[in-house]
Amino acid sequence: MLTFVPVSLGEGRAVTCERCHGGSPTPVYRDSAQIAGDIETAVRSGAAAPGPNIELTGPEPFGHPELPAIVGMAVRSGVSRLRLHTDASAFVVPANAAGSVAAGVRHVRFSVFGGTPGVHDVLVACPGALAETLEGVRSYVAAAATQEALVHVSALVPVCRHNVRDLPAVVATATGAGAAAVLLRVEDGGLDLRAAIEWVTAACDTGTVNGVRVEVEGVPPCLMPDHVLHLADVVRARAGAKAPACAECALDCVCGGGPAGAAADTLAALRAPADAGALAGRMRVARGMAPS
Amino acid sequence: MSAPLKCALLALNSVGYQSLALGYLRAYAQADRRLAGKVGFQTLDLTVDMDPWWVAWRVLGLEPDVLAVSVTCWNARAVFDVCRIVGRVRPECVIVLGGPEVGPIAAETMTANPSVHAVVRGEGEAAFADLLHAFATGGKAWRVDGVTAIKGDEIVSAPDRALIADLDSIPSPYLTGTMPLIDGGSYLETYRGCPHRCAYCFEGKGYGRIRSFSDVRIAAEIEMLAAAPTIRSFSFIDPVFNLTADRIAMFAAVLAPLAEKGLRLHTVEVDIERIDDESAELLRVAGVASVETGPQTIGAAALEICHRPFHADRFARGIASLRRQGIQVECDLILGLPGDDVFDFLAGLRAVLSLDPGMIQSSTLRVLPGTELWERASEIGLSFDPEPPHEVIATSTATFRDLRRAEVMAVAYQNEYRARL
Ligand code: SF4
Ligand code: SF4
Repeated sequence: MLTFVPVSLGEGRAVTCERCHGGSPTPVYRDSAQIAGDIETAVRSGAAAPGPNIELTGPEPFGHPELPAIVGMAVRSGVSRLRLHTDASAFVVPANAAGSVAAGVRHVRFSVFGGTPGVHDVLVACPGALAETLEGVRSYVAAAATQEALVHVSALVPVCRHNVRDLPAVVATATGAGAAAVLLRVEDGGLDLRAAIEWVTAACDTGTVNGVRVEVEGVPPCLMPDHVLHLADVVRARAGAKAPACAECALDCVCGGGPAGAAADTLAALRAPADAGALAGRMRVARGMAPS
Repeated sequence: MSAPLKCALLALNSVGYQSLALGYLRAYAQADRRLAGKVGFQTLDLTVDMDPWWVAWRVLGLEPDVLAVSVTCWNARAVFDVCRIVGRVRPECVIVLGGPEVGPIAAETMTANPSVHAVVRGEGEAAFADLLHAFATGGKAWRVDGVTAIKGDEIVSAPDRALIADLDSIPSPYLTGTMPLIDGGSYLETYRGCPHRCAYCFEGKGYGRIRSFSDVRIAAEIEMLAAAPTIRSFSFIDPVFNLTADRIAMFAAVLAPLAEKGLRLHTVEVDIERIDDESAELLRVAGVASVETGPQTIGAAALEICHRPFHADRFARGIASLRRQGIQVECDLILGLPGDDVFDFLAGLRAVLSLDPGMIQSSTLRVLPGTELWERASEIGLSFDPEPPHEVIATSTATFRDLRRAEVMAVAYQNEYRARL
């Protein structure tokens, strides 16, 4: 429910699926003065309370030569919550973990693709990557405990056709490392959403029985009607791909739809659920919107 | 002359706390002249996380003739385990229970727990003293008003007992030295009863009209706490600390000089809709560092069923006034109230988050014995665990699975919110 305003550190992504993206581009980092300007703008933007909260996004933050100074600027500018989106491997060095907590990093989001090295390491094309990420997360959590700092760790799982069957295992692995929440973000427009649902919902249930919130982006409510509470769209708005049928669906006002770039045949198969009107009304209530 | 009865008083508290209820029972009984020389007391203020077998070990080490235990919904399972073990090892020990978890269902509790000999129903001080007198003099426990006890093969309930009219007749556990003072874990009670009648709560229904301790007594307890070199903070267990404007003014006058020396009040319960800038300032002057409040729910149907008011604008004003004074606010929400579905609950969570109160705490509804919800459960479609702590399983508007999902969501959002600079 909290809103984090993204502040980009440059071009690139913390981690990518090599099979989907065919290799990670070399990151290009922005100048710290530009980033400072964005932080100031984000803090002044008055995004939804409680806040202001910002997330440093883009390429791996620990690759930025001025990360400590950027974190310091963010803290001084008055952010309430500062989140790093990282592969977490830098936290394996205890000084990085302890220093981050001490500097004010209270939120960490780490990307993970698979629950085992056989999936994660293969998809990111880096042997040993999963072990490093998990060790880094544990190190950060331990550093926070040592400093008696309350922190929040979440996992971001970019979902694609290459890891969809591994989702329950990813949730279990991320939870075991210390993640308090997991976001499954369907990013692959070519993914057969209908076939993916059983894995997505199993991952949701894995989270629930382990006491961890699993949130799903890129899957519409008509495809997982028994798991709508797991949809990111229940609590925050998100604009995704819609189908012609959506124009007739009462959920259109609150539904985020499928992933951007979803295949036409996937979207064409979407149908308004029978109880769309009632469900739309309840989702509006949860989002603090006036009943339609 | 026979040896005095050895009475062990047991409470299984949250870590860092001690039982004020036991302190009252003991202070009242010790002041009862009929019991002088006839009953000796030992208090065991232990914690609910202790293994019941080791609690029983500690109890049995005292070789008690009477074991009296205070029972709440959250420690009841452990208490029943202890009673079963103690009853087997020392069958001659008379086991007496009291407290909100057992009083309203005294006979059922005794039937389910055969090691229990008697249950004190409702307000306990006078009934417990009379019960001890009966034990010490060969009297009949089942004749003591406010007590349910065994009579032969039967379980018999004596008539209800009238509430104590003059609360000052209950000696202060602190002023009499019955209870030690614990920094952060000492609580004062200035009145009993509640002006509200929330359907899930026993306080308003169980204790009826409001009865107050005298201002002189309250001031004496505060002064004693303030004079203790180890005490830096304490609290009040009053259901509504800001009951009236006069009371806040009285507390501000008594507490302000102590607050200036650093004494703090933590987590006092307030009716936040009655707080404006003026009363918030008085609370700060009185040393209040943090308050706890609702709204419990913002769903219109649940509010109506539970007889709770909620005015969003007044609620927001109260939080803003307190935050301006640097007072942290903990907003409480209850998941699974009748009339709410999980979307209502999430709306409540969103609403309090948007006010940035400082702390948010959600809990799952417990359908407590003696409350209106307990009595109306089947009528309004509440399914709950008959075993304590009686958590709601499903309602007519929320499925079992969705309630469990919402529990997980709430914890996740609370933790995300709490992690901040
Ligand atoms: S049919 Fe309705 S629920 Fe399905 S994607 Fe379209 S708007 Fe969403
Ligand atoms: S919940 Fe609080 S306000 Fe409501 S009856 Fe109980 S003590 Fe009173």
